[in-house]
Amino acid sequence: MNQDSSKDISNKDLKIGVFLCRCGGNISDTVDMEKLRSSVDAEVVEEFENLCSINGRKIIRDSIIQKNLDRIVVAACSPITHEKTFQKYINPLNPYLLEMANLREQCSWVNPDVETATEKAISLVNASIEKVKYAQPLDPVLRKTTKSAAVIGGGISGISASLSLARQGIKTCLIEEQPTIGGAMVKVGKLFSPEKLAEECAMCLLNPLVNEAVEHKNIRIMTNTTLKSAERRSGNFHLLIESKPRKVIEDRCISCGKCAEVCPVEVKDSWNEDMTFRKAIYKPFAQAVPDVYTIDLEKCKNCGKCQEVCRMNAIDLDMEGEVVPMTVGSVVIATGHKTFDMAKRPEYSYGRHDDIVTQMELARIMGVNGPTQGKLLKPSNNKVPERVVMVQCVGSRDEKPGGRKYCSKVCCMVAIKHANVIKQHYPDTDVIICYTDMRTPGMYEKYFKYAQSNGVRLIRGRPGEIAEKDGIFLVRLEDTLSREPLEIEADLVVLSTAMEPSDGTINVSGLLDVGLTEELFVKEKHSKIKPVATEVDGVYVCGTAQGPKDITDSIVQANAAAAKISELINGGVELEPFVASIDQSKCNLCKKCIDICKYKAAYIQDGMLTVDPISCTGCGACIWECENNAIEIMGQTDEQIIATIDGMLKDKKPEENRIIAFLDSVGYVSADNIGINKISVPSSVRIIKIPSMNRIMPKHILHAFKMGADGIIMGEYPYNPMYSRTKEKIAGLKEELVKNNINPDRLAFYKVYIPYFRGLANKFKEFDGEITCLEKG
Amino acid sequence: MKTIKLKKESVQLVKDVLKDIKASPDLGIYKCVQCGMCTSVCPGARQTEYDPRDMIRRVLEDDETVIDDDNIWNCFSCYTCNSVCPSGNNASEINQILRQMSIDKGEGMKKIVSFAAYGDSFMELGVGSIPNNFFDVMVKDVGPGYMDLKINIEDIRADLGLGSYILPENAIDEVESILDNSGFKDRLEKIKRCK
Repeated sequence: MNQDSSKDISNKDLKIGVFLCRCGGNISDTVDMEKLRSSVDAEVVEEFENLCSINGRKIIRDSIIQKNLDRIVVAACSPITHEKTFQKYINPLNPYLLEMANLREQCSWVNPDVETATEKAISLVNASIEKVKYAQPLDPVLRKTTKSAAVIGGGISGISASLSLARQGIKTCLIEEQPTIGGAMVKVGKLFSPEKLAEECAMCLLNPLVNEAVEHKNIRIMTNTTLKSAERRSGNFHLLIESKPRKVIEDRCISCGKCAEVCPVEVKDSWNEDMTFRKAIYKPFAQAVPDVYTIDLEKCKNCGKCQEVCRMNAIDLDMEGEVVPMTVGSVVIATGHKTFDMAKRPEYSYGRHDDIVTQMELARIMGVNGPTQGKLLKPSNNKVPERVVMVQCVGSRDEKPGGRKYCSKVCCMVAIKHANVIKQHYPDTDVIICYTDMRTPGMYEKYFKYAQSNGVRLIRGRPGEIAEKDGIFLVRLEDTLSREPLEIEADLVVLSTAMEPSDGTINVSGLLDVGLTEELFVKEKHSKIKPVATEVDGVYVCGTAQGPKDITDSIVQANAAAAKISELINGGVELEPFVASIDQSKCNLCKKCIDICKYKAAYIQDGMLTVDPISCTGCGACIWECENNAIEIMGQTDEQIIATIDGMLKDKKPEENRIIAFLDSVGYVSADNIGINKISVPSSVRIIKIPSMNRIMPKHILHAFKMGADGIIMGEYPYNPMYSRTKEKIAGLKEELVKNNINPDRLAFYKVYIPYFRGLANKFKEFDGEITCLEKG
Repeated sequence: MKTIKLKKESVQLVKDVLKDIKASPDLGIYKCVQCGMCTSVCPGARQTEYDPRDMIRRVLEDDETVIDDDNIWNCFSCYTCNSVCPSGNNASEINQILRQMSIDKGEGMKKIVSFAAYGDSFMELGVGSIPNNFFDVMVKDVGPGYMDLKINIEDIRADLGLGSYILPENAIDEVESILDNSGFKDRLEKIKRCK
């Protein structure tokens, strides 16, 4: 805080300095500077050719020091252009004790007539003078984040994100629900490589990463654990992590496997897609990390046989789970996906025949550590199939109930990969892929061509059913290219099932209060310019938790998420302090503001309502909800808004019309663009910048009309999270006008967009015309 | 060779189909990707040259000859195409709209003449029942038991504790009056004249 914050002087006694910029004629050619100077009531009024120059800084600084000024108004170009410059120039004053009057973009450039331009310039300067009297010294908000992170989900995305964070020196906890890390990647066996036109061993690529994660001093791997609760507190997250009891002491188990030999309980092995059996004490696969056995709590009968044979005394059947608290600076959601439930599509007969399988089941069958040690054998009879038919888009691109409207993105490549592997090892087996569109963008197209040259056949048509006759499957479709209804006989059918958000993705997002898409994947803040960021600051997403994607894209996202966290930790973020502030003596903790805030900026901590300045945009929607007037928006207090309105309407002549235009930041830039393009705007329009139309309340509108405004227009960008609120508010404001005998047509609303400034200019003209008509009555 | 001309051609047929009173508000014909799933399950397509996917393509390409194509009369209205369509389209609904267009043009009248007796049964009995001229076919399809059922229907219903299915005279009169005033009767006569 600067020294003058302690000064306790009333607004009337403040010494205000007004600095007028001629802007090399840009302003002074149109605005009568002499008249403007004489109309301004301030301690100091100075005029200069180019205020933004270094000489301008000297003039401003010298005046502040010599005349002991308290507040500064700079009447020049748009604050978008030079507010930061002038905030520095008014040092030693606090930067937020400055107001700018936009005489160039929103006056001289849109108002060619000298007389009306000068009138407008006077009111813009007056508005800034009135507003700056209520300015408070503020400090920018600096976000600092603890140098630690939690990564939820131990698949390839989570492992990659953890490694990147750890290598940047960030303490990272990798939380995995299953007894082992590796996720779906360890199960698929082979990975397609479009560059090498070959298939690579998934385990061979993943193992070095897993080993590095295990060895890394900055990574703590917690398997058999889930997120139980999460609370966000000023940039940090307090998490509760629940561990299921493994019932095997990790440090003692040497993974000899004697326990599993004697265990009498057989369980379907989910790691092999239920095609084989394991025991109730098990290790999912040979290379599992951590390399220890685990007891399946649901299936174990507590017979104690394992305990008897364990020479390491590693089994503790009385082991209990625990809940561990943890505080981290950031969270990565890497909770992955699951595959489409085939019970929803009975027409494909899945579950009724062993030889109708999913691509993941085929991956296990062809995996060297799978049920057939990598041999392509039909589950029903262990014979090599004569013809494999693959059905694409099962549950994807499907608008039927339970279907997924999106393309699952990887299935074309997965089908081609498996087709290639089959063709290499079993050239006599015919492979047909039934497709709607083959989607193999970029380099993947080369891999697709490679499959065609391997003799993989493609038929364009989407099968409607799979029947069975005398032990042979009939895949029914239309060959849409030859326009022929077709039945393909097959002895192994493979369904390319859709990728869906996993249960973990949905649960974890709920606990972290992160928004989901229509399809229940984790929603990014903005898919183009804010990828991997979620709606909650400090929470990032990567991999298939965000949407269907392959391993390459998952790793890219994981690295992006880690980089974003690193930005927060190393750089910190400095933000404008125009956020909600709470008067604790008035707050009754009714929580209505918490419910209304789509930015999730408000929360209760230690029995006090707290606003996270990082998340708050100062939109003001909460003020409407607060019955005790306990909330203020810094920089946009009621006094400041009322003062600005007063200034804009000061000295209005009887025959003159004045229209107040409240614009959000998008609308304000759009209005600047009107000026830059020298499109004229009615001289009646006076623009006031407001963070969101939610900030404008009936009292502001009524005050403006009382003070002589003839019309009010409000412009807001429609794609902000609180926009739905704005729409309700406008209707409410109009009702309020009717109650006060003011024609509601005097209030207009307009959707603003930065590039569509001509639309805004037209709207100003149109509204000015309407107001003129109303005046003439 | 077909040319898609630069000069904007009107694509009227699909718009007329979507405007039709029978078209569901969310009918997804524009979303069709010609995957052929409808044809793959269509019993009509298995037995005849009817191809629901191709019918949709012709509508989208403004091929009005599809209205006059005899094949559209081979749809059984079983709605299986609708139940499998992944794009939210409904071939059987569009088929019915095209049939109605064909009827409105006059050509389609001939296709429904043989069903006119159904209309008569509404007029005479107040309910739709299989007309006498279909009995021979029904016996062929269902077996001789069909005639037994027909003849003894009242006794069978009585045994099952059900009342008569013949509507009372005044109810039949009311139904007839509705059918008359709503234009059904005139329309039926018009169809019959096409024989």
